[in-house]
Amino acid sequence: MSLHQKERDIIVQNQYIDNFDFDEVEDFIKNASKDLFISHKFKNSNTTLVQPRGGFPTYQKQFELYEEFEKADIDVMPLTIDSHTRLNDYGSAKKMLMLSEENETDMLNGYPLVNHGYATTRKMITHFNRPVSLRHGTPDARLLIETALASGIFEIEGGPITYLLPYSKNFPLDKAFLYWKYVERVCANYSGLNEPINRESFGPLTATLVPPCVTIVIQLLEMLLSLEEGVKSFSVSFSQTGSVNQDAVMANVIREMADFYAKKIGVEDATINLVYHQWMGAFPRNKEFSDSLINTSSFIASLVRADKIIIKTRDEAFGIPTMQCNAQSVANTKYTFQMLKGLPTITDEEEEANLTEEIHSIMEAVFNDSADTLWRKVFNSIKNGIIDVPFSPHIINHNAVVTIRDEHSNIRVIERGNMPISDKCLAYEKSKVKLSKDKTAVINKIIEDIGVMHE
Amino acid sequence: MNKKVVTGVVGNDIHVVANRLIDISLQARGFEVFNLGVNTYLEEFIDAVVETDADVLLISSLNGEAEGWCRELQFLRAEYELKDVIFMIGGNLSVGEAANIEEIVPKYKSYGFDLVFHQVDLNIGLDTLEEFIGHKS
Repeated sequence: MSLHQKERDIIVQNQYIDNFDFDEVEDFIKNASKDLFISHKFKNSNTTLVQPRGGFPTYQKQFELYEEFEKADIDVMPLTIDSHTRLNDYGSAKKMLMLSEENETDMLNGYPLVNHGYATTRKMITHFNRPVSLRHGTPDARLLIETALASGIFEIEGGPITYLLPYSKNFPLDKAFLYWKYVERVCANYSGLNEPINRESFGPLTATLVPPCVTIVIQLLEMLLSLEEGVKSFSVSFSQTGSVNQDAVMANVIREMADFYAKKIGVEDATINLVYHQWMGAFPRNKEFSDSLINTSSFIASLVRADKIIIKTRDEAFGIPTMQCNAQSVANTKYTFQMLKGLPTITDEEEEANLTEEIHSIMEAVFNDSADTLWRKVFNSIKNGIIDVPFSPHIINHNAVVTIRDEHSNIRVIERGNMPISDKCLAYEKSKVKLSKDKTAVINKIIEDIGVMHE
Repeated sequence: MNKKVVTGVVGNDIHVVANRLIDISLQARGFEVFNLGVNTYLEEFIDAVVETDADVLLISSLNGEAEGWCRELQFLRAEYELKDVIFMIGGNLSVGEAANIEEIVPKYKSYGFDLVFHQVDLNIGLDTLEEFIGHKS
């Protein structure tokens, strides 16, 4: 028996789950309906697929949410996992699930998938027969992903960098790389049975003035770590920057770079998709303004020809939306998309050339690290600040890169820290902003730039 | 010599944006900053103050749970003989709508803080800190 299979056998021996039958799961995936695979849907669709967020603690409420989504003719269903499960605290999740079932109040902020188990959850997933995407935020997602795949959830979001640096202060990054390596291998192994399992990276990161070069480098590296293990369908993603032009530039560059770097490691048979997140920063409290922001995001997703959009609701500033509000947002986005067919593409050669050069410089520095495997090279690069995510709470992050918006709201790098972009590229970025000499005024401008969508 | 400041967000609070802004604002004003980041416990703050020989401890809190964490401050301050260190706290210092806003500042002062800022603009807080340092020296 392989070491990997031994690890799998250990992972599923857990007091909170029933027997895990790997042969039965393999059989299920082999014979599963093609409609459950988002990779199949991507292949056969020429419009931007619509996906909201959503997870409730009880089976009953999750089922009702899916019924609402079905009425809105949703393309991709979400399954958002609660925060206890994300921290592998299945005991607390179980207790809170019981309280939620007894009292009809939600004591969890998502669906505790491990506690519900795959036999139960699979009934719901196969009943609706639409692709489901797993949204979580878990550094050690091994058991969660085994359970998701066995349930018929064939898209897995996350990655060792994008699910750690925005969410955790001190979970060890090297462990996260190894736990995600396991996830990639499980997804890759199931991908030969039917349609491929799709992996998706989480591009928004901290959603706080992250410069495009940092976002794209991290997307490319998580893609490579995944393809390296044999994954055949992967989605790179980013969130609305606040500048339409910068979004278009990012979309063009990330597509080109994804092809380039996949080929560079010798992978030519994988499908790479582009996912666009509607505004991930703080939303206006005025709901009419929220509607306007959401519609503009949808327009941009069409403009950049995203394969999928992840949407928000007009209640975003007020917490978890009601099922009806969430479903209405799906219907609205689909309605908006009907009038956005065949838009001309935007290109900006100067901006694209500058961004491309920045990305190549950072990627080259990562590849030139002396470590023997890609994940160790990436680990070292984060540790020494070659990759630096603004506003990450994690202790390993350098926090030396400083960004600000220019007069067209593009995010610009004004301090590069250890990030190895050339003097020329930095000069280009800085030439776009008129910086005050008063440091406190600069900081006040950054504060304004973070809250740019406030009314 | 630049004044040294230890800062961070107390308790199970992950509001990192404000923490980073405090960090860069202090640096812009010429302080040497030791930022412990989010999710920091009171003992860790005190350890860092001792280790760095800091002049100022600036604790921030956004989710309002600071009160639960800071009750032991007087005790720790006496134990480590930190009477020359300026203790400052700011942010949102009560959970939900406080019953009596006038009571918040005296309450935190009784815990051993020299400067207390509840829902006050960051720059006003830092201006006051600089004035306070000026008066002391």
